[in-house]
Amino acid sequence: MQAIKEQEHQASLEASISAWIDAEADIRPEDLDTPYGRRVWDTYHMIGDVLRSEELAIKPSDFLYARISRAIDEEPPIVAPRPLSMRPYARAGLSGLAVAAAVAAVAWIALPYFTASDGGVAETPVLATAEPEGIYDYVAAHRDITGVGPVRQVSFEPGDAR
Amino acid sequence: MSGVLSGAADWPPARFACRRTGRLEVAAFLLALAAFVGSAPVLAAKASETSSPEMALLQKMQQAARSLDYAGVYTYQEGSLVLSTRIVHVVDGTGERERIALLDGRPREYIRHNETTQCLLPDHKVVLVERRDPDRFPAILFDDGARLPAHYDLQISESPERVAGRECRDLTLTPLDAQRYGYRLCADQDTGLLLRAQTLGPAGVLTQIVFNTLDVGKGVQSETLRPTWNTKDWKVVEVPVHEVDLASEGWRIPLPAGYQPLTQVARQMKAERQVKQLVASDGLSTISVFIEAYGDPGVQQREFGLVRKGAMSVYRKRIGDHWLTVLGEVPADTVRDLAHRTEYVPLAVP
Repeated sequence: MQAIKEQEHQASLEASISAWIDAEADIRPEDLDTPYGRRVWDTYHMIGDVLRSEELAIKPSDFLYARISRAIDEEPPIVAPRPLSMRPYARAGLSGLAVAAAVAAVAWIALPYFTASDGGVAETPVLATAEPEGIYDYVAAHRDITGVGPVRQVSFEPGDAR
Repeated sequence: MSGVLSGAADWPPARFACRRTGRLEVAAFLLALAAFVGSAPVLAAKASETSSPEMALLQKMQQAARSLDYAGVYTYQEGSLVLSTRIVHVVDGTGERERIALLDGRPREYIRHNETTQCLLPDHKVVLVERRDPDRFPAILFDDGARLPAHYDLQISESPERVAGRECRDLTLTPLDAQRYGYRLCADQDTGLLLRAQTLGPAGVLTQIVFNTLDVGKGVQSETLRPTWNTKDWKVVEVPVHEVDLASEGWRIPLPAGYQPLTQVARQMKAERQVKQLVASDGLSTISVFIEAYGDPGVQQREFGLVRKGAMSVYRKRIGDHWLTVLGEVPADTVRDLAHRTEYVPLAVP
């Protein structure tokens, strides 16, 4: 029980409000009663209302549809944005609202679609062919600040053409 | 609901970037923060543990690294990789002075005076000037270490060890969860200075950094602080770094238990690339989160998923219009989970 409480506590405010609107969690009024909380609450409700009743919605021009189609076509097909929530929908009728809330907040969740084996790479002092390209820059930038590992490194080298 | 979404509550409010904040203020802030999340009684219990002999030894190591005069050579080892470094550290009327010279690979020297470090690159005839938190080996803590007893079991060994011709005593930190590695730190009996630091994975030592030779006190000559090269006509470059606030930009980065942000900066990497970097620590281990705009010139347009080397784990993935790269001296699952649970939520517009 404690664990469930804590997990809920850790969810981002936007995700929590979405869950509250869907009646999937108990509302915490103290979190909701802030200017931002109320704004998100109102926005999510409005999206839900619009989704449910078409007369509330403005009919967008054909240009908007065309622009959206073009934008989707141009989107590189590496990661498709997935709507919020991998949680089971407790009540079927409300799932649309949850999705709407996610769209409103433009929440992108990283999805585990790429799970490399935990094997590790060749242990060589410098950039090896087995190492993913560019990875060393990040390691150097990390060590540049934290100083752990081979003491310190330089992540920023002027005149470095790489 | 599953634990996929998380982050807001354990994310400190804006303006936490604490590079120039005093350690005491940081501690006070962490206390205030803990009270804010409602775990004040837990922390109060922890505070009393800071007086334990183990915590006292850790503080002594940290203090010794800052306040003593010492000179020596230490070696970093990771698998078959061995790198040696010469260090001279002198405290004079103006504060700390330090010279670090890399003995293997490309020649590099770091001349530090308190918070200002000059990095000498003889192959470019360039001096890079950086201003940042100075603590490095043989200092070991990234903050006051107050959160360590909550996440590690600390134990001082009964029998002494011998490192660099000096007697030292091991302090072992065994992690209480799978989100971090263990550490074994050997502190000099006389001075408390850290002589050997080992990172421990489930299968044993992953990396270690060990003094081979060490002089402490009077034998240290301040002339040895002088750099090898005359840098009079070298180009001086100030490394462009400025602080940012990723939370206010909409990033929800759910740090593992016990980790607090140390610093959040926008900085340049190689090839003129602009990245944002968050560095977080539980006091001993550190994690960096890099965020770059997708499609920026020079940015690697590739995922490399999960890779690991020595104690270092790296996970990279795309989140919408950004690349997220998470890495640190932590188990692979820690960086992968952090990457998977990170959200980008630009604030809702009314």
